[in-house]
Amino acid sequence: MRLYRKEGNTVQILALPSENVEKGEYLLIEDPTSRRRLITQVIDIQFANVPGILEELLRNSTTNELVHEESFDPLEVASHVTYIQDSRLLFCKIRGTIEDGRLSVGSSWLPSRSQSTIKKLPTTSLLTLAKICDGLPIQLGETKELSSFSIDARALDGKLNIVTGKKETGKSHLSKLLVLGLVDYGAPVVVLDLNGEYTHLGFSSNGEKNEHFSKVQVLTPGDNLKITLTQMKLRVMLNILIHALHLPGTSAREFRRIWRFLQEQDTLNLKELGETIRNWRCNQHVRDALFSRYYSLLNSGFFTDNTAEAADLEEYFCRIRNGGALIINLHDTSLVDRQIAVEYVLGKLVELLTQWKIKAVFLFAEEAHLYLRETYWDDIVTRMRHFGVFTTFVTNQPNTIRENIYRQADNVFLFNFTNEHDLETVSRAAKVDAETVKSVARDLPPRRCLVLGRAVKDFPVVVKVRALDVQTMGETRLFFTDKN
Amino acid sequence: MIEQFHYATTPKYNFPQSLEDLQLPQRFIELSLRSMKKINGECFQPHEITSYGPSKENSEGITLGFQHHDSFTLRPIPLKPALDYTTVVAVDVSSINVGETKTGVICAVRGAIVWKEKSRYRCLRLGPFPFHITEENKREIYGMLRQYYFKVSGDTNAPSLINMQNRMCNLLERWLQMGVSCSSNRSVILWDGSLTAGTIDSPVNVVSQLLEVARNRLNTVLAFSKITRLRLSGHLLTDLAWKSPPPSLLQINGFPTYVSSKVRFLGDLYVARFTEGSCSFRLDIDREIPWEQGLEAVQRLLGNDLFLQSYPETLRLAHIFSTFTANEVIGIQRFIAQKCGLKMVTRPNVRRLLFGPFGKGSEG
Repeated sequence: MRLYRKEGNTVQILALPSENVEKGEYLLIEDPTSRRRLITQVIDIQFANVPGILEELLRNSTTNELVHEESFDPLEVASHVTYIQDSRLLFCKIRGTIEDGRLSVGSSWLPSRSQSTIKKLPTTSLLTLAKICDGLPIQLGETKELSSFSIDARALDGKLNIVTGKKETGKSHLSKLLVLGLVDYGAPVVVLDLNGEYTHLGFSSNGEKNEHFSKVQVLTPGDNLKITLTQMKLRVMLNILIHALHLPGTSAREFRRIWRFLQEQDTLNLKELGETIRNWRCNQHVRDALFSRYYSLLNSGFFTDNTAEAADLEEYFCRIRNGGALIINLHDTSLVDRQIAVEYVLGKLVELLTQWKIKAVFLFAEEAHLYLRETYWDDIVTRMRHFGVFTTFVTNQPNTIRENIYRQADNVFLFNFTNEHDLETVSRAAKVDAETVKSVARDLPPRRCLVLGRAVKDFPVVVKVRALDVQTMGETRLFFTDKN
Repeated sequence: MIEQFHYATTPKYNFPQSLEDLQLPQRFIELSLRSMKKINGECFQPHEITSYGPSKENSEGITLGFQHHDSFTLRPIPLKPALDYTTVVAVDVSSINVGETKTGVICAVRGAIVWKEKSRYRCLRLGPFPFHITEENKREIYGMLRQYYFKVSGDTNAPSLINMQNRMCNLLERWLQMGVSCSSNRSVILWDGSLTAGTIDSPVNVVSQLLEVARNRLNTVLAFSKITRLRLSGHLLTDLAWKSPPPSLLQINGFPTYVSSKVRFLGDLYVARFTEGSCSFRLDIDREIPWEQGLEAVQRLLGNDLFLQSYPETLRLAHIFSTFTANEVIGIQRFIAQKCGLKMVTRPNVRRLLFGPFGKGSEG
């Protein structure tokens, strides 16, 4: 391999066909004159623009179709010609410099074109140099060289993460790895599980309980997650009414009065709430509005007057305080019911964090746009992060996550995308240049993930995500399964 | 002993068994290898591929003018294509300057033969054969090749290094032409160039022999010149206009057979315009065959080959397949560097050094 040219932070390297290099791999450009080494990553591979190639191909295409060609080439020069034809140009991004054995991200120097030697930098060497998997390793899978790849659990601590990729590329699988990895280190994790994929994290693929069984709690709204009105704060209830049930402001004010009245009477329950709304002296339109919301709350099944069947969420949170996953199973729940449950859970979470009853929590939100209200997005990445809610968004629709969230994301776990629009959206992540995202992510095979950000010390790494011995629940139901 | 490379003749093509000079390709390869063997470890200045140009010297380069208008006549001949599945065979060669060493130049030659049989084209490419030609070995190489092909002693002065490339090219071409003449029967054989003989690389007896061999096997040789310097009363031969619509020939009668004491025209001279378009070509037809047979051969060519701008497709393909592309030049340079352990060096371009961006011409 020879260094050909440099433009900005991109270097072009000429490689011959025998030098097998793939996208995402790292190359080390060693300049013996300056005793420095440049770390670059291949983001694109193109054919070298060899002079005369068009004539050559035109001539060959003629022979294929119309002319039968034989060749008497005793010196076998043709093999050298085809070798030149297949030479390629590697487009590499400069990632850092090694000087005196120390790694720095700067690239303010230019290696010699004539003197430099170029060789592959195995990912394991890079990981060691950058000290990527020191500390609390969560094994994600293996690198291209089949060596184990782990990230430090602390790289997720206090961070905002995004797991994204198109359908069936392995996003949820990676999320489960992260969840269990965090749980193993004693971290509390809350999963907003849209499709019920995480509910069997406590079971092995053969259906038996695994080592995580006791640490995984599953709460299903309307089933084992019901609450009494007394457990609910007025502020949270108003959020539900206004944001999930779209109650107008005037009616919300009346509701506040009713709520406080019932609190004073110490009769805050569903039955009394209905009765009070019926008998409350107010405008008929307001009463109708309140009644319709009341029935929505009633029909959600999330609320109960029976204190025995009411769940104590605080207790659940306390159970996972020293390591555990609380799965909020939102599968088979309507949009409104999902929003009600999520409002309550997040409200309770912030309350407990504010009171320092739990130190911090890792929140995994699958397809959050389907249940998270608009105002929560900014809240999660700013205010709630300071309370100790460290969110990981998991989505196959990257445009549903706001641009400012991409900009503030500390880690991005990127799976394959082919759609230009999706790639454009993801490329706004501040942790890496847009070219790397677009070029590498486009060609990632399933279950391969490009890890960007703090977790890899800003050295993007392609990982083959390892298998996980837990019962899969996220599989798509198929019709033709038994018709082979 | 020559360095042992494992080479063999192509399995499908039979080199002309009747030809006494059967050893020539073998000898060609051996000479190529021997010349290359001596450059081990030398510095090598690759030729700039941006300015390469395939080169082949032809005797048509001879500038000749017929001044006296009374001495010749022009006769248009309308043609009628004759479709009878006659095989059309074309031969072309090409050479390229690959680079320079301290002691000489490295060039490569390649030939191509194309057959048009019924509705199919078949092509055989021979080479490339790289040669390292120095002042020391040029005499040996040239003499040996002439001896093998022309059956003349190697006492002839070898051309200058610059011209050696063209001479090698011509030698290969003559050998291929002989091979085709010997192996074809009742075919139309197309040569690139003319039937002018008597130059250093085309002795009269050699070209005559080539034509005779072809005639004996009932072949007809038609030689097409893309560029001619022959002029009639100051006009280029190919610029002569006549009223017959294509396909037609313009026969030029009355030109002298001898140009000088040495140079001879071995063919009858025509201007050919086979299709509509602006191009016409000088066509030489072996003058030893009856006029009618020559005309019939042209009509069979018209009926059995395709034409683009009056030029036969078979000959066009032979040219395409023999020509070196820039990509191939790089490949040959790499082959030489690897096989001979040459060290690539790039000498400063004097023109560039002196004139900067204005120094765009070739070196020298």
